Amino acid sequence: MIGRWLLRMPLAARAPLLAAALMVVVGLVASQQVLLSLTRFQEARLRELVQVHVDGLSVALGPSVLREDVWEVFDTLDRARAAGQAQRMVLTVVADREGHILAATDPRTAPTGSRVGAFVATAQALDAIEVSASDDRITVLAPLTYQGRDVGEILTALDVSDLASERRWTVFWLVLGNAAATGVLALAGYFAMRRMLRPISTLAERMGSGVGQPELIPETEMPRGNTEVGRLLRTYNTLARAVRDEAEARRRLAERERFVSLGRLASSLAHEINNPLGGLLNAVDTIGRYAERPDVVRQSANLVERGLKHLRDVSAAALEHNRLGVSDARFAPHDLEDLRLLICPELESKRQTLSWTVSADPDRMACLPAAVMRQVVLNLLLNATAAAPHGGRVALTVAETADRLEVSVEDDGPGLTDIARARLQSPDAQRPGAGIGLGVVRDLVAGLGGSIACERCEGRTTIAVAVPAAVPVETEAC
Amino acid sequence: MVMEKLAGKPRPVSRRRLILTGAAAIAAVAAPSDAANPFRFGLTPVFLDNDALVIDTLRAALAEGLSRPIELVQRRTYEEVTGLLLQGGVDAAWLCGYPFLQHNRALTLMGVPVWRGRPAYRSYLIVARRDVAQGLGDLAGGTHAFSDPDSNSGWLVTVSDIVRTGRRPERFFSRSIFTYGHRNVVRAVASGLTRSGSVDGYVWEVLALREPGLAERTRVVARSEWLGFPPIVARSDRAGDADLARLREVLHRMPETVAGRRALAALHLDAISPGSPDLYGGIAGRMRDLKGLR
Repeated sequence: MIGRWLLRMPLAARAPLLAAALMVVVGLVASQQVLLSLTRFQEARLRELVQVHVDGLSVALGPSVLREDVWEVFDTLDRARAAGQAQRMVLTVVADREGHILAATDPRTAPTGSRVGAFVATAQALDAIEVSASDDRITVLAPLTYQGRDVGEILTALDVSDLASERRWTVFWLVLGNAAATGVLALAGYFAMRRMLRPISTLAERMGSGVGQPELIPETEMPRGNTEVGRLLRTYNTLARAVRDEAEARRRLAERERFVSLGRLASSLAHEINNPLGGLLNAVDTIGRYAERPDVVRQSANLVERGLKHLRDVSAAALEHNRLGVSDARFAPHDLEDLRLLICPELESKRQTLSWTVSADPDRMACLPAAVMRQVVLNLLLNATAAAPHGGRVALTVAETADRLEVSVEDDGPGLTDIARARLQSPDAQRPGAGIGLGVVRDLVAGLGGSIACERCEGRTTIAVAVPAAVPVETEAC
Repeated sequence: MVMEKLAGKPRPVSRRRLILTGAAAIAAVAAPSDAANPFRFGLTPVFLDNDALVIDTLRAALAEGLSRPIELVQRRTYEEVTGLLLQGGVDAAWLCGYPFLQHNRALTLMGVPVWRGRPAYRSYLIVARRDVAQGLGDLAGGTHAFSDPDSNSGWLVTVSDIVRTGRRPERFFSRSIFTYGHRNVVRAVASGLTRSGSVDGYVWEVLALREPGLAERTRVVARSEWLGFPPIVARSDRAGDADLARLREVLHRMPETVAGRRALAALHLDAISPGSPDLYGGIAGRMRDLKGLR
């Protein structure tokens, strides 16, 4: 969880955080070592102190202990305590060899004649003194040696609260110092890292800012010198220019394809206009020649009228096609009828038959922009008529699924070449060649968020375009 | 004289005295100066012998009065000081009435301090301040601190009191110790080393004034009758020596000199009277009670 969160963080924040975390770890380890050393030092100091205490008492008390002179033992202990020589010693108990207490600095706590065993349970040996963090008092048991033999025992309780307090203060200052140092260094690291990583941030911003295209980094924002980051940014700029150039090339190619399809459309229109023109001229000639024959004139006039109406319809469809390029009209069945009219001359010139099936709901169709869909369908139809042989067959099917509109164009041509198929389906730039308008279709469908399928089956090629066309639930219409 | 009656003998005479006196005289004549031959004065813990100021003022008063240096000799026990006195190791000593009576034939009174208007003091039986004991009987089976086996107030009084109750002193307490100092008895009881202690009443009272922090940790549960104050004594056979005669005069005239008054004030005493062996009848009576025990 934290790992993912860290990975999502910007590098400029993650790196200083990592440095700060390392500082904390180093601080903790260093603090632990300091405390360990302090504890060892305190234990050594205590050992030395107790050793001196015991040695001094052994010299002073030896004869008295041998004689079991209670008063002398007490007097020596009491004077040593009163003289301030053993302020840390909160209790000193002297026992004979049998473990009977002779005297103690506090006789009420350790009465004369009682057993020293009650105090021995928690006592530590002199050479193995350990100070734990929670102890304010430790007890040490040492033999009382006089003239080379053990004549009794000395049990000493030491007040180590000051040592415990010293350790607590050390911990406090270590934590405080480490926290302050870590904070300062982390802050400094943050700004230093941020400064160092600024070109990387710039790079990330430029990469993400352009819509579909990387944006060039201006020279003013380039780091000085021939640093790794500088080389990286220059390489990025080179790549960004290459991407731009490629996009421009594709745009030009698409433009050219549009011009090509426009030329073919114009040719088709000219043919459409030219076809009736012969009949119209014949009719006008007939009218001139048989002006006195009203029936012929009427018949010829009807011919002229039909021909002119056809020309009007053709010009209206062409006008609509161009006008839609700049309007936001929605796709509708009459757009398909216009396309059918526009494609007819091409079909007739090649004696091809057209199968036309439109089963989609107009409301569903209206979810899509008319200009884009007309461009897509026209290019698919033009491509199919170009691919289909003389006398061949072309079919259009417009249907719908739950949330998509599907447009399929089928022909019985030789099928798409690899180049044409790549042009239709691959986003990569392709060499100019077969499959006029297919690049335009791919770009437009991609723009609508749709997909293109292409299959070849039993001598027929089907290009199926599916574009999202969900009708909003509230309005049932777009 | 009471002591002579007790002893049943005349005071010891004195060929030895004469010899010693002669030797002293010869020594005095032979001495190049008094500075090389200081007057040796023995001290026992019958007073606060741990107090340097007291010691110094006493030395100063004696030195001024005797016009010669004073060597104050302190030993741990009464017995040692008494021995020194008897052997001539010191010229005079401040002893307890009990050893004075023990050696009454060999010792003579030089003076008896006057405390609170009389040449007498009492023995105190003390316990820790919060102890519930009300008297000697409540202390049976406990631990006890005596001052010295030759001390009247610090041993004889309590032991004779026990004997008077018909019990054996050596079995009365579970454990008894000697601290060789009245102040030490107070320390032993105050610290809890022993439950009770036998102490010189004069020392305890002075201690209450000078070291209230120590004395207040103890409580007096029994006081003896008034008994003869620890006397300053010298060997009987030297009683006629000039330096001892001079010492006697100096002691008796202490209230008349600045140094003497200062010393008396430091000792919380009124004066030093010539005294009389009769003062020690009470102690002698207790000694009799112990006959056969020691």
